[in-house]
Amino acid sequence: MATRLQFENSCEVGVFSKLTNAYCLVAIGGSENFYSAYEAELADVIPVVKTSIGGTRIIGRLCAGNKNGLLLPHTTTDQELQHLRNSLPDRVVVQRIEEKLSALGNCIACNDHVALTHPDLDRETEQLIADVLGVEVFRQTIAGNILVGSYCAFSNRGGLVHPHTSIEDQDELSTLLQVPLVAGTVNRGSEVIAAGMTVNDWTAFCGSDTTATELSVVESVFKLREAQPSTIVDEMRKSLIDSYV
Amino acid sequence: MGQRRPAKRRRLSRTPSLLLSFSPFSRFLLFAHSSSVPKSGSPDPSPSSKSTVDGIADPKPPKAIKRMESSEDEEEKQEIEMVQADFEFFDPKPGDFNGVKLLLQSYLDKKPWDLSGFVDLILEQTTVGTIVKSASQDGEEEGDDDGGDDDESLFAVISALNLGRYAGHGCIKELKRFLLEVCSDESTKTKLKLLLEQQASDVGLLVSQRFVNCPYQLVPPLYDALFDEVSWATEDELFCFLKPTQELRDSFRLKYYMLLTRILENKNVNQRKAKQSQDYEEPFIYIKAEDEIFRELSLLSFTFRLHAEQLISHELKNYREMGLVMVVKADDISKFREKLKSLLAKS
Repeated sequence: MATRLQFENSCEVGVFSKLTNAYCLVAIGGSENFYSAYEAELADVIPVVKTSIGGTRIIGRLCAGNKNGLLLPHTTTDQELQHLRNSLPDRVVVQRIEEKLSALGNCIACNDHVALTHPDLDRETEQLIADVLGVEVFRQTIAGNILVGSYCAFSNRGGLVHPHTSIEDQDELSTLLQVPLVAGTVNRGSEVIAAGMTVNDWTAFCGSDTTATELSVVESVFKLREAQPSTIVDEMRKSLIDSYV
Repeated sequence: MGQRRPAKRRRLSRTPSLLLSFSPFSRFLLFAHSSSVPKSGSPDPSPSSKSTVDGIADPKPPKAIKRMESSEDEEEKQEIEMVQADFEFFDPKPGDFNGVKLLLQSYLDKKPWDLSGFVDLILEQTTVGTIVKSASQDGEEEGDDDGGDDDESLFAVISALNLGRYAGHGCIKELKRFLLEVCSDESTKTKLKLLLEQQASDVGLLVSQRFVNCPYQLVPPLYDALFDEVSWATEDELFCFLKPTQELRDSFRLKYYMLLTRILENKNVNQRKAKQSQDYEEPFIYIKAEDEIFRELSLLSFTFRLHAEQLISHELKNYREMGLVMVVKADDISKFREKLKSLLAKS
């Protein structure tokens, strides 16, 4: 189910939070309403961790992650790094990387299997993304924009891209990502999809300006209506138990 | 209807490129400089390029193309390249939502309120209110949208909302509550309460916000446009293109204007000793210079402390950002307009 919320009068919830299938990061400093909205949806299923990155609250745009790992920019302090390592599940590899494009959330869009990256990312970073996040990496642009992490949001079940993405581009991306894609907007016509919303396989959070039409598009493309957190987490749990044996 | 509107005026515009900040405005100037050659005359924006998003209203041509003369000499050691920037004044329209919302993000400090509803009120009032956008430099841009399709290039907004006409809206109620909460002085509070409640239909909330480094030459035409529109609206306010209603015309016969703005106040209270020495610092720095004129002419005014994070530069470390509320009589507006022009002439 998709929820609408605000962070201190700002509808850019994708800037102040990061949601994956294994954990959720939330910025410090917003009112407790923001944090409790996430807790209400996610508390029993995945940990919700309050943090800052490099002393800032724009954590959603600075880090990139999925259920396998979390990549942090070089501006992350040691305390923040330690805090994240302590709070996140052990199977999530937390790694700080030296990359001059430090807003990793704007440069990398990923789900649990595939990642799209900014065309100018370093080769070493690309390698690290593949290792830490366990994904296949593709350098791409979206509707001519190099900040792929800002202009699309995708999960393992669907994706939403910049409204000006052509049909050919959508088809190409859809083949790469192996998920259905739709071009749309959030927050009353904002094109910066990933700043306005954050999504995982069973839930999504959108800014409160998101219209009912936009919300229904989000719910249908990400297949949120039938999704239950327990089934997805159980699937992951089964595969984990296998690995211990 | 539009015959009394001023015809498009063209003057050459120059803006010194002091591009030390990361605002969208300076980014725009950077790209404008690198991408196009300054033209001697800007092409006439054809009405066809301003297609309507909303099907009902006619495409309104931009009210005035404001370009500025700047004959200031830059006395800096490095090469300052002059950049030409054109600004266009538009009537508010629904597509401007995101840009205007960004400008008014911190209007009520940190308090969570119905900002979206407030922005909607401003954008619905197309007869009184102006939005300033950059004129697109690049001729190859998508011609399907009206000049200034991206909200990112929205630089300023000005409007006047009658507090009585919109009294039923939640955002206006929250705004009134906020103003009464932050007023610490009891006598001012009683006067304020009177204005906000019994006399609300005579009070116009003057909303004026722009990016910090907007060229100052934009400001007098912006205010002129607003006050002219208010006086025209008393004569011919239309409601959805139906017969003009007396009620709506009257809603623009304002007796008072209320402003909510920001200033920088010197933290050091003890300035008396320092008055003679060179260390004397101004007790107040007005972020928007016209606020100083308003404050001089105001009927009542008060400052209040802000709770939101303050971003103050190093040179201004002795200053703290404060909120300022002022009420000005509508009769004093002509004085304001004169003083504003002379302020610009001086600088």
